[in-house]
Amino acid sequence: MRKIIKSAMFGLGLALTAPAVAAGGAKPVAVLYKNPQCDCCETYAKYLRVHGYEVKVQATHDLPLIKKKHGIPTALEGCHTTLVGGYVVEGHVPVKSLNKLLAQRPKITGISLPGMPTGSPGMMGPKTKPFKVFAFNKAGRSAVYSVE
Amino acid sequence: MLGATATAAAAVTGCSRVAARAGDIQLAAKAGRARLLSDSTVSTAVFGYGGQVPGRELRLRQGDRLRVSVKNELQEETTVHWHGIRLPNAMDGVPHLTQKPIKPGETFLYDFVAPDAGTYWYHPHHNSSQQVGRGLYGPLIVEEAEPIKVDRDITWLLGDWRLLEDGQISDDFGNMHDSMHAGRVGNTITINGRAPQPLAVRTGERVRLRLINAANARIFGLKFAGHSPKIVALDGQPVTPHEPSGSVLVGPAMRVDLIIDMVGDPSLKFAVEDTFYKGLEYTLTTLEYGPNPLRQALLTTPIALPPNRIAEPHLRAATRHEITFSGGMGGGMGMMGGGMMGGGMGMMGGMSWAINGVSATSHTHEPMLTFARGKTVVLNLNNDTAWWHPIHLHGHSFRVISRNGKPTAHREWQDTVLMPPRETAEIAFVADNPGDWMFHCHVLEHQAAGMMANLRVA
Ligand SMILES: [Cu+2]
Repeated sequence: MRKIIKSAMFGLGLALTAPAVAAGGAKPVAVLYKNPQCDCCETYAKYLRVHGYEVKVQATHDLPLIKKKHGIPTALEGCHTTLVGGYVVEGHVPVKSLNKLLAQRPKITGISLPGMPTGSPGMMGPKTKPFKVFAFNKAGRSAVYSVE
Repeated sequence: MLGATATAAAAVTGCSRVAARAGDIQLAAKAGRARLLSDSTVSTAVFGYGGQVPGRELRLRQGDRLRVSVKNELQEETTVHWHGIRLPNAMDGVPHLTQKPIKPGETFLYDFVAPDAGTYWYHPHHNSSQQVGRGLYGPLIVEEAEPIKVDRDITWLLGDWRLLEDGQISDDFGNMHDSMHAGRVGNTITINGRAPQPLAVRTGERVRLRLINAANARIFGLKFAGHSPKIVALDGQPVTPHEPSGSVLVGPAMRVDLIIDMVGDPSLKFAVEDTFYKGLEYTLTTLEYGPNPLRQALLTTPIALPPNRIAEPHLRAATRHEITFSGGMGGGMGMMGGGMMGGGMGMMGGMSWAINGVSATSHTHEPMLTFARGKTVVLNLNNDTAWWHPIHLHGHSFRVISRNGKPTAHREWQDTVLMPPRETAEIAFVADNPGDWMFHCHVLEHQAAGMMANLRVA
């Protein structure tokens, strides 16, 4: 089991080298992996498109394998997994955090809004509390990346 | 007696392979290796009966007695459940409920009479997501005393595996994503434990195709291009022959018997496609016609199977119960059942499936309902979730009498009713088999995450 160490910050904000794709200019293409029977993921894809991203939706039965391969800590799992600009974006992450990620390009694996909070992009219902977006790295460490 | 009828039966049904003739059988649950992929250099470590996948096809005649001594050569406990057979409770193979689990090295004797002809299967009921997911299952065919005339009687046991790139089984059993979504749907399909091969057929041939879905969670929706298969039995029980509306739906644990007349011209090929999951449609296999027709005109002999003798539900005198299934990831609604908003999926706060609000953690618990023996019971099943569920009742076959308030056309007998999201179905049966019987979702990951109950007939 990977452990979440909340206090362990690992280079957040250190926008040194970019893992892939130059920042600025056109937004990178996002590939969103989803369970073929899940609707909320489609709604999230639409949300990203509205905010200027080109999104390729890929239905798959292999989501648990994909999440493992991309180093998403179990506790940070959401429904779908998106690959964009060299980062892993897990779950219904608001676009503000995503834009920040792609602009600052920190040395992390990706960010996640764990679970399926109501009121988050692609999810129905009211927002009941601020969304905590987590950053995580290959070692399975995570820390709060942003609060929206 | 069993041995003596073997050749006769094979001649009548035109069996393509020599099936084990049931009687006194030894079956060992053990580790083995199987060639699941078309790449014959790769073999996969599996669990299997006799170390092979699938386990041997057991064939017997309706009313015959089956004695199977099951030896556990695994490193963990197991049991065998004879799915769909209306047998005495003590033979049902549910650990702690109907028997003690078979410990490693121990043997258990299953001994029962098969009252109904039809297509059945056997599999463990202990740690079943993992044991079935690794290959422990086999077909169990009960032949009619007077079979219908077909040229070939073919069993397709459909398997579904989650393999890694090296061809080995992914060990991520019990992961949260599978549990709370559609279950462990794999990435590799097998027919009778092999990568699907084209089925060689001949013009004019009549085939009885017995589909058995042994997958943990995958639903099949099969379309036979250029052909009009007739469904003649569901879950072993005869049904008025009819064409499926759309594809032939086979949920986990379900069986569908088809009669297919091979109407194609010689030397043609036709795809058998699985179109169930949108965006993930694929060609399962092909029907490949040989150059020489078997006959010029199709057979016109009847294809309706003789009914089994099952007590007819007496609806006016029925006791009715409401059953609601809940839980899982909600379709755009957030977590059903609360506890998860904004939390991590791995935190498990209240994440589960439930029947009438109860999420079962083991096979043993107080019966959810108790039925008076011999009385008709109607269960109104309500799938209050965003997912499909094949709901299985042990020890009985039931009629599916309505779906979403509309009477069903065929009032089919089933032991596993496949319920689409947000739909309802009414099932009716005479509670004539005494004992405590499992009632659960046959998506094995849903079952493990609480979607089970037991129902008592006393
Ligand atoms: Cu289910």
